[in-house]
Amino acid sequence: MRTTRYGLLIGMLLLLVPAVMFAGAQREEAAGQSGPDKISLSVYHYLDQTDKTTAPNFQELVDAFSKQYPDIELTFEFGYGESFHNKLQTLAMSGQLPDIILLYPGKRTAQVTSAGLVKDLRPWLQGHEDEFASMAMQPQGKNGEIWELPEDISITSIMYTNNKLLEQLGLTLPKTMDELLAQGEIIRKAGLIPLAMANKDDWAMQSCFAGMIAERTCGLQWFDAALAGKASFSEPRFVRSLEIIKQLHDENMFSPGVNQLAYGQGLDDFVNERAVYLIDGGWTVNQLVGELTDSQKAYVTLESFPDITNQAGESGSTSATAGQGFGMNAKLDEKQAEAAWKWIWFYSGPEGSAIRQRHGRLPAYNLDTPKGADPMIQKLIQYAAKAPMGYVLDAVIGAEPIGVFNNNLQQMMFGNKTPQQVADELETMVDEIDRGN
Amino acid sequence: MHNKFRKRYSYWLLTTPGLVVFLLVIMFPVVYSVSLSFTEWSGYGTPKFVGMKNYIDILSDSIFLHGLRNNLLIVFISVLGQIPLGFIFAYILHRRMVSGGRFFQTMIFLPITISSVVVALLWNQIFSASGIFTAFIRIITENPRYVIGMFEQKNLAIVPILFVLLWMHTGTYMVIYLANLQKISPSIIEAAQIDGASEGQTLRRIILPSMFPVIATTAIFAISGSLKAFDLIYAMTGGGPAHFSEVIAIYMYVNTFKYYKYGFGSAASIIIILLSVGLILILQFFTRRIERRNG
Repeated sequence: MRTTRYGLLIGMLLLLVPAVMFAGAQREEAAGQSGPDKISLSVYHYLDQTDKTTAPNFQELVDAFSKQYPDIELTFEFGYGESFHNKLQTLAMSGQLPDIILLYPGKRTAQVTSAGLVKDLRPWLQGHEDEFASMAMQPQGKNGEIWELPEDISITSIMYTNNKLLEQLGLTLPKTMDELLAQGEIIRKAGLIPLAMANKDDWAMQSCFAGMIAERTCGLQWFDAALAGKASFSEPRFVRSLEIIKQLHDENMFSPGVNQLAYGQGLDDFVNERAVYLIDGGWTVNQLVGELTDSQKAYVTLESFPDITNQAGESGSTSATAGQGFGMNAKLDEKQAEAAWKWIWFYSGPEGSAIRQRHGRLPAYNLDTPKGADPMIQKLIQYAAKAPMGYVLDAVIGAEPIGVFNNNLQQMMFGNKTPQQVADELETMVDEIDRGN
Repeated sequence: MHNKFRKRYSYWLLTTPGLVVFLLVIMFPVVYSVSLSFTEWSGYGTPKFVGMKNYIDILSDSIFLHGLRNNLLIVFISVLGQIPLGFIFAYILHRRMVSGGRFFQTMIFLPITISSVVVALLWNQIFSASGIFTAFIRIITENPRYVIGMFEQKNLAIVPILFVLLWMHTGTYMVIYLANLQKISPSIIEAAQIDGASEGQTLRRIILPSMFPVIATTAIFAISGSLKAFDLIYAMTGGGPAHFSEVIAIYMYVNTFKYYKYGFGSAASIIIILLSVGLILILQFFTRRIERRNG
């Protein structure tokens, strides 16, 4: 009898555990609608909360929004690096996508956008298209959908130049790659690095250099044809772009051990004046604003990689893509969607863009150059206005082909693969996966 | 009859919660993973049955085979490095062959108390191209472009990781062996020594035979742990450069979560399980033979 009583008691307790758990979840859900006039929305954002620059800047923006819209309560969840994408994928697959999600315009979050899990923003955006840089208004879906409102224009390849070091070495800004190669010997003799770069994380060479150099050797029209399957990445003009990377590596133009250096180390070498040039994205200005001294800001300029022989692309061109931005869950009802749009518009529209611009970003929303802005921000805005822009490879090529390509670039620099082999493998994978042949 | 029923009832009552948790948390994912491994699935829509294609693709992929080779090197360094070293340290400390035993015990065990990510950052700070060691060699050799070439060689890039794994995990085995050595009655060892047994004979005839089951068990831990090695390597090198230091767990992770190939990733995980079980069965086979021979 006693055994039965104990058995029943244990059974009851076991049954209570899930009940208690579900009760907790219901309470949380209830918080989502915390009153007739207050709307609560969950937001999943890409942010390194330990970053001393971007985290406080983002908080400033959130505070400004909360002040303007006290009736909208935003609950943030953050992810960073690969874990952001892993969690996004898990949330999407389990049907628990937050109300507002940070998305990418290209292939990076295509698994979410192409699955119909987010709303097309065009009905809300209508009439505002001209207020943004044309690159930011490129269709993101097959039928012209805009899944996310780009916050920034992301220039991925800038040759940051330390003009003081150049002058000390008796050099001037090179106009051609041959001139740059000739400078290498002088720079190395002075114990300095010609082109600071860090490619341990393997995306950097592709994102910050390969796209730009491919634009130079191939031209934008050819690239469009290659993406559409009307030209091949195995063609000599694309192979030439890879040969240039190999040549720069073999002639010791990059940082020593470029494939062993974690991303950020190139910036460190540049800021500490151990490198004459730094190849990095426009987002680095965000760090340079805080890291460079006032005197350094006077002689550090933003330049394009010099011209190459038989260049098919435009002189002074770079690679760029519309940046990420917020989109909204397809399941939101009308009232929630209106509230979500208020945040999306605040963030990527005039108000949020002005705040981000003050902190060194290059908003996709057209703004005047702010008066009294940091000199590095002004230089970035001026650079963006003059530089022709080609594609960033990882924005237009799928995750797997680009992942293999990134690794193959390292293999090529180590001499394990030829530029032709790397190009052939990219062509095979793009054809099979992206073009679906 | 009533007693027998009560006994059976209580067995069921006590084991059911554990069994349910085991089925839900262990068996369901394994079975689900096996079924997924025969499909092509990006996470959405219906998985497409592809038969053995994923397994064939994996086993003919040179990146996987290089990762497998790295894993087998980790197994090798674990079974033939960490375990013997752990035993030697434990034996030295137990037999009080050095003074300051507690200090050495703490020092050897310390690495395992540190998070793998911290350990990875620590070693990277020393040996990376921007690390202290590299900077020191650059000063000595007056070569500002010096880097450790080993990290850029396909066959050697794993060696620094093997060294860190040896440094990190030897302490775990040392503590296990030390605890078991303390279980051996000192009177047996004293009796052997009174009978004129040398230190070597005591070790061979008394200590090693009584420690054999523990060594066999730790070898199983070492094998299974080595085949699923991930955190330290991912934090140290991410499997790079160019897959040189990749292991099969990273291969599985990249394919599953970066390329969204869930069927392919499941097949890789099943291969890890099969390899682990296979190696453990081989080990058990030899263990039983040795145990039988020792009577």
